[in-house]
Parts: sequence; structure tokens; C-alpha cells
Amino acid sequence: MASADKLINTDVPEKDVFAFHFLQSLSNLRKQNPFDTPDQKNYRVRKIKKAAYVSMARAAGGSSRLWSRALLRRADKDDNKIVRFSRRKWKISSKRRRSNQRAPVVEEAAERLRNLVPGGGGMETSKLMEETAHYIKCLSMQVKVMQCLVDGLSPK
Amino acid sequence: MENELFMNAGVSHPPVMTSPSSSSAMLKWVSMETQPVDPSLSRNLFWEKSTEQSIFDSALSSLVSSPTPSNSNFSVGGVGGENVIMRELIGKLGNIGDIYGITASNGNSCYATPMSSPPPGSMMETKTTTPMAELSGDPGFAERAARFSCFGSRSFNSRTNSPFPINNEPPITTNEKMPRVSSSPVFKPLASHVPAGESSGELSRKRKTKSKQNSPSAVSSSKEIEEKEDSDPKRCKKSEENGDKTKSIDPYKDYIHVRARRGQATDSHSLAERVRREKISERMKLLQDLVPGCNKVTGKALMLDEIINYVQSLQRQVEFLSMKLSSVNTRLDFNMDALLSKDIFPSSNNLMHHQQVLQLDSSAETLLGDHHNKNLQLNPDISSNNVINPLETSETRSFISHLPTLAHFTDSISQYSTFSEDDLHSIIHMGFAQNRLQELNQGSSNQVPSHMKAEL
Repeated sequence: MASADKLINTDVPEKDVFAFHFLQSLSNLRKQNPFDTPDQKNYRVRKIKKAAYVSMARAAGGSSRLWSRALLRRADKDDNKIVRFSRRKWKISSKRRRSNQRAPVVEEAAERLRNLVPGGGGMETSKLMEETAHYIKCLSMQVKVMQCLVDGLSPK
Repeated sequence: MENELFMNAGVSHPPVMTSPSSSSAMLKWVSMETQPVDPSLSRNLFWEKSTEQSIFDSALSSLVSSPTPSNSNFSVGGVGGENVIMRELIGKLGNIGDIYGITASNGNSCYATPMSSPPPGSMMETKTTTPMAELSGDPGFAERAARFSCFGSRSFNSRTNSPFPINNEPPITTNEKMPRVSSSPVFKPLASHVPAGESSGELSRKRKTKSKQNSPSAVSSSKEIEEKEDSDPKRCKKSEENGDKTKSIDPYKDYIHVRARRGQATDSHSLAERVRREKISERMKLLQDLVPGCNKVTGKALMLDEIINYVQSLQRQVEFLSMKLSSVNTRLDFNMDALLSKDIFPSSNNLMHHQQVLQLDSSAETLLGDHHNKNLQLNPDISSNNVINPLETSETRSFISHLPTLAHFTDSISQYSTFSEDDLHSIIHMGFAQNRLQELNQGSSNQVPSHMKAEL
């Protein structure tokens, strides 16, 4: 595996980078909206979630990974989600003709993965797996950071 | 189909050659015409890449004393005076065959062919000039022909620019199995030459029958060549018995050489497929290490399901934690701005930062200590007495005991560098401290106790 890791670079920065970015985004959120009313709970949750993802994408080296770029793009263009989706479908359909012959079992799973991993729509399966590996690493890091924050801040 | 091509080598092929004068077309004609002399050699010519084709073009054009020296005119000229050219070619190639036989006997295997010709780089770069210079003497050409044929004996789908890298390959990579070489990106031009669906196994059979059916016009030297080449593939195959596909990066071009596996199709598509599949399996192994509990699962489908479940669970965790975080944030007004503005996370200079953190820690402790005292002063009769009571002990101990979350914090982030741990500690302390200070200053009695309870 070491040799494969040398070829496929899935390095992820340290947790403090994630924490820094996340806290920054949280503070930005605070600045924008005083989160007082319970009516806005869902809205706030979504905002925080989005802040978490965006900060994760930024922390993980924004442009060197496809998924982070796609995430950031998606976060910026909240209105144009439909457009994005249709473009992705077009990309997939162009590949689907070729890829149908290739190990349909793998391709089914790859399809599901593409739905999960941001930016997975336009990727080949091998590239998709690289992105998934990096994405998993970043996600687990982010989860740890958030867990620690919540534990630190939560009442006893 | 190729059988027919080779069998029909004869005068009746001019109509094919009236097709656009590409070097490949010309070479086809050449290979077909010269089949009786040296089928292996001509076959190699048939299979060579365009660069070699151009070399051979120039070589053959030099050989052929027809009034059409240029490549573009060659086929046209060939159509015209083909009989003459054919005879001349046969004669020339017969001579070459002699020399080839001699040189081939000198170089025992395809690996050890003597290479007195200039190195591949120069050959590649000055392929228009050096071949002409070399081909003025037959030995150089014969050597190259020897190499080509030897190469051809090992590989039918050869596509390399020159035989040199291929010949250098086998001694280095002794694990190779396959007598066949192809490279995926360059395959397409060859695929046009190659009738689709041909496997190398069939080709090897055809080759052996061809050599047996060698026409009587072949010189004895050509028979030697045949035998040489019959033995060569065996030798090549023996040396390449074990092992997997190898990939070597051609120094001249960016293609990746892919070796076909023994007994498998050498289709361009199937080879590309195999490359792709191996890439995928390699990455799956990488993923397997990442996802916990994937080691027991075998098989691509199940593993991929595991991976998908893991990613989904991680995303759900993020969502859940964000919900929790939002609920936590309602109770505590966090002044993140102040925290961040204090340069808690500088992007550089960890040492300085560490000092800062320590200072912050101590300051936070004192603040909290004061807080606890104030708690006692303000709210002696609060039900949280049981919580506050331990505060009567030393401040540091109460500090530690009253923040078990911090201990939990330390445990959970033990993997952190101390740097980050202290950071988060300090942040939270500062946050608490500031909160308490602010709330106390504001002085709404309702809120204060509840908040204190919450924090404690």
C-alpha cells in the first residue's frame, strides 16, 4: 500500500487547520445572524452544516481536489443547483455508453458514490475513487473537530 | 484475413496501392510484395509504427533505384514499375537477409543484439538523415532489421518507436510474462492496420505455419532467419515466464507501455480495459485501508457498499454534529470574533503561539477562578450548590474538576498536537470567561444562574 500511496497523494492537513477554518466560518455566521429565535432552527442548522462543509473544503486545499472545488462552487451558486445537476447528467450519459461494458457491478457502486461525493458527476471511476479517499479523510477529520467542539461547548 | 493478405502477395495488388499515398499503405504493399523473401521481416514492417515506417520508407526508397525517391511518390511509382521494383527489392532484401542471418547469429537473443548503431535518441531525432547515412551501408540496416524482426518475434502488436527501449526492457524487467507488447494510446493507429479481434496466439500459429510454408525462393539465409526467429520467441517466452504486466515509461514519448498478459487478448480495448481495472483495484485497496472494517470484506461489490455506507454515515455525523452545535450555540453567546482577533490561530510560528496559548490558559484560569468566586458570592442558595461546593477547594482543582468536558476534550483529542489542544482549550476558556464576564456585567439575574448551571 505504501507504493500506492506514493502514487496517489491523499494527504490531508492537520486538524488545527480544519478547526481554524470551521471556527472562522462560525464566527462569520455569528456576525451575520444573531441566532436567537428557535423558529430559525432548521435554517441555522443548515447554515452551520454548510459552513462546516465549506470550511472543510477550504481547509483541505481548496483547489487541488475536485470535490472541494465542486463543493465551493455549489455553495456559491445555491440558486443554480438545477443547472448543475443537468450538466452532470449530461456528462454521465456521455460516459455511460462506454462504461456500461465495464464491470457493471463497479459502475453501479460508482454511480452511488458519485451522488455522495461532491463533484463526482464528471469523473471517471478511478479518479472518483481517489477523490473518495481524500474526501473520507477530510470528512473524518471534520467530524473529529466538530465532535471536540461540541463536547467542549456542551453543558455538563 | 492476414493470411489472405500474405498469401496474395503478388502482382495483383496494385489496386490497393492506388489508395492514398500514406506511408502505411506503402509499407503494406512492401510487406505483401516481399512476403516470399522474408515473411517475418515483412510482417514486422507491416506492424511497425509510423516512425519506423518512415525510416523504412526512406530505407526502401534508397534501396529501390526507381525514379521516385520521395515517400509520397513511392506508391505511385511503385504502381508503375512494380515488377522492376519488386525484383530489386527482393534482390536487396536477399542481400540483407544474408547479412541479417550473420548478424542474428552473432546476437544470440533479441536482448543481446549488437548495437553499433547510434543511440536511440539520435536515431529518433535525426531519423530522416541518419537512416539514410546508415542505410548506405547494409550492415546497419540489417542490424535494425534484425532487431525489428527479433522484436516482432516477441510482439506482434509492436508499436514502439524504436526497438531499443524494448530491447532494453527485458533484461531490466525479468518478470514479464508476455511476448506481446502494446501501448494503449498509440494503439489506435495500429488498430487500423490490425484486423480487429486477432489474438496473438493465432498470429503465432500463423507465423509458424508461414515459416514452414516458406517459399522456395527464400535463400538459405532466410531459412536461418526463420529458425532463428522460431527459437527466439521460445527464448523470449522463457525469459518472460513469470509475472505480471509491466509498465515502463517510454523516454521518448509519454505513453505507458502495457504488456499484454499471456493467453489474453491483445485488443487495444481489452488492454485499456485491463489497465483501467487495475487502476480501480489499486484505488480500492487504498480505500480499504481508510474505511474501518473493510478488511474482512472481500469482493469489489461488498467493499464498495461498505465504502458508500461509511461515507453516508460520515455525512450524517456531520449533519448531526452541526445540529448539536447549533443547539449549543443558542445557549452560549460565543464571541468568536474576539477570540479569533486575538490571533489564536496564527498561520505561522508555532512556538510563539504556544507561548501565547500558555498565557491565555493561565489568564483563562484566573478568570474562571474569579468567576467561581463571584458565583459563590452572587448565588449562594442556588440548587447548583452541589456543583459549586467543590469550588471552595483550591481554584486549580475546581477548575479541573468542574470542567470534565475538558478532560474528555483532552482524551478525545489526544491525537491532536498539543498546539491545537491548547488552542481549543483556550478558546473555550476564553469563551466561557468572556461570557461570564459579560453576563455578570449585564446582570440579569434570571439568565445568570441558568447560564452558570449550563456551563458548570
